[in-house]
Amino acid sequence: MEDKQVRDESLAVEENLDNQEMDNQELDDQKLDDQLDSLIEEAVLETESQKPRQKMRLESFKRGAYHEQGWLFVLPAVLLMCVFTFYPIINTFVSAFKVGYKPLDSAYELKWGFENFVRVLRGDTGTGGANFARCFWNTLAFTFISVPVSTLLALLISVALNSIKVLQKAYQTIFFLPYLTNALAMGAVFATLFNVVGTGNTVETVGLINVLLGRTADNYINWINLGSDIWANRFVVIIYEIWSGLPFKILILFSALQNVNKQYYDAAKVDGASKSTILWKITVPLISPMLSYLLITGIMGGMKVYTAVVGLFGESMGQEYEVGTMVGYLYNYIEKGETGYAAAGSLILFGIIMIITLINLYVSKKRVHY
Amino acid sequence: MRISIENLTKIFPSRHKAGENVTAVNDMCIEIPSGKLVGLLGPSGCGKSTTLFMLSGLEKPTSGHIIFEDEDVTTLAPEKRGIGLVFQNYALYPHMTVEQNIMFPLVNMRLPKEEARQRALEAAELVQIEELLTRKPSELSGGQQQRVAIARALVKMPNVLLLDEPLSNLDARLRLQTREEIKRIQRATGITTVFVTHDQEEAMSICDQMVVMKLGVVQQMGEPQEIYDNPNNLFVANFLGTPPINIFKGKVENGGIYIGDEKVGETNVGDQEVFIGIRPEGFIYDPMGALTVNVQNVEVMGRDKTVVSTHPSSTKPTIRSIIDSDIKLPKDALQLKFNIKPNKLFLFNAETEERIYDGR
Repeated sequence: MEDKQVRDESLAVEENLDNQEMDNQELDDQKLDDQLDSLIEEAVLETESQKPRQKMRLESFKRGAYHEQGWLFVLPAVLLMCVFTFYPIINTFVSAFKVGYKPLDSAYELKWGFENFVRVLRGDTGTGGANFARCFWNTLAFTFISVPVSTLLALLISVALNSIKVLQKAYQTIFFLPYLTNALAMGAVFATLFNVVGTGNTVETVGLINVLLGRTADNYINWINLGSDIWANRFVVIIYEIWSGLPFKILILFSALQNVNKQYYDAAKVDGASKSTILWKITVPLISPMLSYLLITGIMGGMKVYTAVVGLFGESMGQEYEVGTMVGYLYNYIEKGETGYAAAGSLILFGIIMIITLINLYVSKKRVHY
Repeated sequence: MRISIENLTKIFPSRHKAGENVTAVNDMCIEIPSGKLVGLLGPSGCGKSTTLFMLSGLEKPTSGHIIFEDEDVTTLAPEKRGIGLVFQNYALYPHMTVEQNIMFPLVNMRLPKEEARQRALEAAELVQIEELLTRKPSELSGGQQQRVAIARALVKMPNVLLLDEPLSNLDARLRLQTREEIKRIQRATGITTVFVTHDQEEAMSICDQMVVMKLGVVQQMGEPQEIYDNPNNLFVANFLGTPPINIFKGKVENGGIYIGDEKVGETNVGDQEVFIGIRPEGFIYDPMGALTVNVQNVEVMGRDKTVVSTHPSSTKPTIRSIIDSDIKLPKDALQLKFNIKPNKLFLFNAETEERIYDGR
């Protein structure tokens, strides 16, 4: 109670300070206005015209000058955003509707239409690039398997972490370390773990994962090498995504758990709740805002997977883009100079992420307790 | 359910290796009779909440035993003790409705849903919140949350109801109302109830029995009026009563009780230095009285008036004496004289602060 009072008081003090600052600013404004007024008056005297209309125009100029000053202050930010955010967005929309547009093709004849979208969705871009439908399903598989699984794992790990006393800090550090590692480096390590060196009778090693699974040169699983199954490939990416997603999720959930009032657990214990009831009926709802945040950002991030696949399968994302992702698709067509397809693909990706996020928000409104 | 607490001790180990351990409860022995409302009373840090949590099973005693009726429950898990516990800040689950909150213990007992709902409704009716069942705790006032917490504790029909500072989060008016409510619910259900409070007025007003604690040690246990009339030591005398008791340094000489040079009473204890405690209502105004005080001011309350005064032998800055409002005091008097009611005067050993009982 007292704490709150103190906080309120300090808030009040801050507010006062704010007011004072505002007062100061108002004073400054007043000064500025006065200066402008005198300047304008001089100007008016100089032109020797005292028509009311002209005066009005000057008034509006005065107001405009004030606003222009404001714009001046934010100009660096606005310029940067125009160059790196607004122009690209607008240009993407424009290029997406320019049929067959290649920026480097000087003989290009401008033609508007939806043909880019149709060709992207049908998969007949006629350039031998990545296939949109395949990239789309890959991305969905990666996202909707890896995000829930890694969130659940993160939840269980952070609950376990929260309930131990000894070495808690040490484990916390260990779990957070992958967060600091470069994505491509991790991809290379994963590729090594799953890699099979040599073929047929000359297999030198089947890779650590196969060894751990008890597989030998006779019955090894081909995870990522030539002729491997798409689901084996996807499995590797999903494992990678789960593992690389854990640190951040554990960090967030662990701190959320530390903020849960211990008294709820005591109350639940007295009420005869079992450990699992406490976890699912008390803990999870209490940290559900954080869980929903992780799911939403996790799914958004999952839809944009690219580096993992490049790290594991190289820039061709498999032999012929078969492990490609939607963002991989965009880069692929930008590389080929087919800006029109890339733009159309990115708009489709934008639409998909938006729909999924809206569904997420709708669901979380019903399920999350703030 | 009769509760026996035998040699109960709780020592919290220090966080630092070199630091001292904290003894929260020290060799506590009390007997709580069945079906009574018992208050654990003491200043903060006296171990009263720790005792309550040991009764609930949430804290493990360092040594000693807790016995419910004839069963030793010292090591029994909280959910197996048949207790209901109301937390200081209620600990209602914020994501559940009032009904779900009350039903939660029953759901854990795997009761059929219909029966659970029926019993939740009965508990809600008992604390008069049946129209709030669909609300969330955040949509309730403090008093309503308190009732929900009590309903949740009562719904599993516990043998013992434990309340941790049940009134401390309520405003003054609601506190009066709620303490009557707790008394009513306790009477209606007949459940042995233990509650913790630092407010002596609260404890005195509703308790059947009261346990006064200080620094983990039980000072006195008994009916509120009896403890008030016969405090065991200076601490208990000081802790009970508003306004608090007046304490003087004095002495016993030849059967007379002296404050300074003035003889305020008689006793048959031997000559010694003593603390003399006089309850505010123990003063009788008398122009020829035994004790002379320097008047600071007179507070008129309507029903009675309080003379605020000073005395060189008083251990407190001011003395408060309550006298009847009908009694006419001389106006603007700088000094007043009082006689002291013998049954409102207590003698305490100057060193041990223990009560010195009159042999008579």
